[in-house]
Amino acid sequence: MKTEQRQAIEELIYRSCLALDAGEFKTFLALCTPEFRYTLSTYSPEIKREMVWLDHDRKGMETLFTNLPRHNSDHSPLTRHATVYTVESDGAVAKVVSALQVFRTQLDGGSTELFAVGRFHDTVALDGEAPRLARRLVRLDTRQLGFGNHVPF
Amino acid sequence: MSKSEAQWNAAPEFPTSHYVDSRLYTDEAILNEEKEKLFKPAWIIACHESELAAPGDYRLFTHPAGVPLIVIRGEDQKVRAFYNICPHRGNTILYDPSGNAKRMTCIFHQWSFDAYGSCVNITRETEGYQKRFSKKDVGLREVRCEVAFGAFVWVNLLDDCVALREFIGGALDILEPFMQQPLEVFHFHKAHIRTNFKLWHDTNSEFYHDYMHYFNRITGLLQPGYFERKYTPFPNGHASVGSMQIQYDKYEGSKERAVGWPGLARGGWYMVDLFPGMTYNLRTSVIRIDTSVPLGPNDVLIEFRGLGLKSDTAEERAQRIFDHNMIWGPFGRNLHEDLLGVTGQGRALRKGTGSRWILHGREENSTIHDEIGMRHYYAEWSRRMGRPAYDPYRDGRPGPVRAAA
Repeated sequence: MKTEQRQAIEELIYRSCLALDAGEFKTFLALCTPEFRYTLSTYSPEIKREMVWLDHDRKGMETLFTNLPRHNSDHSPLTRHATVYTVESDGAVAKVVSALQVFRTQLDGGSTELFAVGRFHDTVALDGEAPRLARRLVRLDTRQLGFGNHVPF
Repeated sequence: MSKSEAQWNAAPEFPTSHYVDSRLYTDEAILNEEKEKLFKPAWIIACHESELAAPGDYRLFTHPAGVPLIVIRGEDQKVRAFYNICPHRGNTILYDPSGNAKRMTCIFHQWSFDAYGSCVNITRETEGYQKRFSKKDVGLREVRCEVAFGAFVWVNLLDDCVALREFIGGALDILEPFMQQPLEVFHFHKAHIRTNFKLWHDTNSEFYHDYMHYFNRITGLLQPGYFERKYTPFPNGHASVGSMQIQYDKYEGSKERAVGWPGLARGGWYMVDLFPGMTYNLRTSVIRIDTSVPLGPNDVLIEFRGLGLKSDTAEERAQRIFDHNMIWGPFGRNLHEDLLGVTGQGRALRKGTGSRWILHGREENSTIHDEIGMRHYYAEWSRRMGRPAYDPYRDGRPGPVRAAA
């Protein structure tokens, strides 16, 4: 893989974080293919089971984003910090694994706390002018999220 | 009209059954007393039988009264519960939240116990104790344990407690027809919330906070019959809420629930609140169970479980999980709102804020926005604690006095 292509893939991952951090959901979706699917999962050692906590196709994500302002939500900004670990490509798609930390900053006073850690397992489509997210699996290590959140990681 | 301090602190113009002293939610001494008088005598859900499928399977559970427990299935298939405390030097025996243990061995000095609670090994037993003491002289502290009401594992810390069915007192009759098929846990998460455990139970006991949920306002409130649903109080502080029809297709991007639940009308919903801090919630395609474990007067750990049918096909299970997550998952629409609500109460009620009374004054013929569920709960609280919830100190400071006219 050429360095430029790897840089473009990494930038895609980072732009997806920036868009979600800023609440620019249309910008986020513009980074995704029409077949995009988002899944957030984790493993429970308590019940010894894989658990899926969110699973949406692109249409489902659009609905989720559209309905956000209609709900009562915690408005503390989230900051997603990703570090791309590996990029493996067969030419048509790239499989990208990134470390993820999500920080939450209180609106009142601005203290920041670590909210969650996990990984992005992304499938990136390489068949267009620019790389786009075809699949995002957020694999959470953190399972205690307090009162939770309405905005996907 | 705004209120002066005296007016703010004056007792509400309601019968004393219709409000409580807000210090109920902030006082450590009251919480410690609640652990003794409310939680210890109560039957508490520790886990579900499906979490203990094979002999030797165990789950750890911290009882709301504070006792660390091991729940384990024996080779005789019976589920038993023990203190997770080694009788030797008081160490924790098992650490992982679940697992399979043919022998439960304390890592400290390698004393081992079987699933019957018997000690089966003391390292260098005769060298240290000669004939003065042996395995037969020690064992794990066993607590009462039953599997019932949907195959949940119930525990009780008192040897002379009332029978489980007597404790439930018919409150779960409304749900038993829907729990005849084997259930299976597919979801578990804990939420650590800065609020008092009773405030979470209050939220589960009143529907007036429908107005906090856009989802409920769209799928429920506008539907015929919504406000006719009735609360039914049961002995020992439990209460149930009758079914309604939820029209999920009223929520943008949502659709009629495809899976449903055997015997339950499409879009149906039943809730049962069990004193002092558990809730069964059957909603269209999923059963949710809440178990509250108080960590402090303004601090609670809530265990959430989602259950489907053990017989589910992969497609059915996936749909139930989707339905569950949409409303009740950590990213679900309603759970986040509910937990935000009680977090706000915890913030406003903590010591020193000036909060004084909590009102439970709505009367609507025991229907859905009546606050009878909370009144019934605090009547039981008062009975078990030996003084009224509106005056928990009987100290006259600042006391339930009427405001001057």
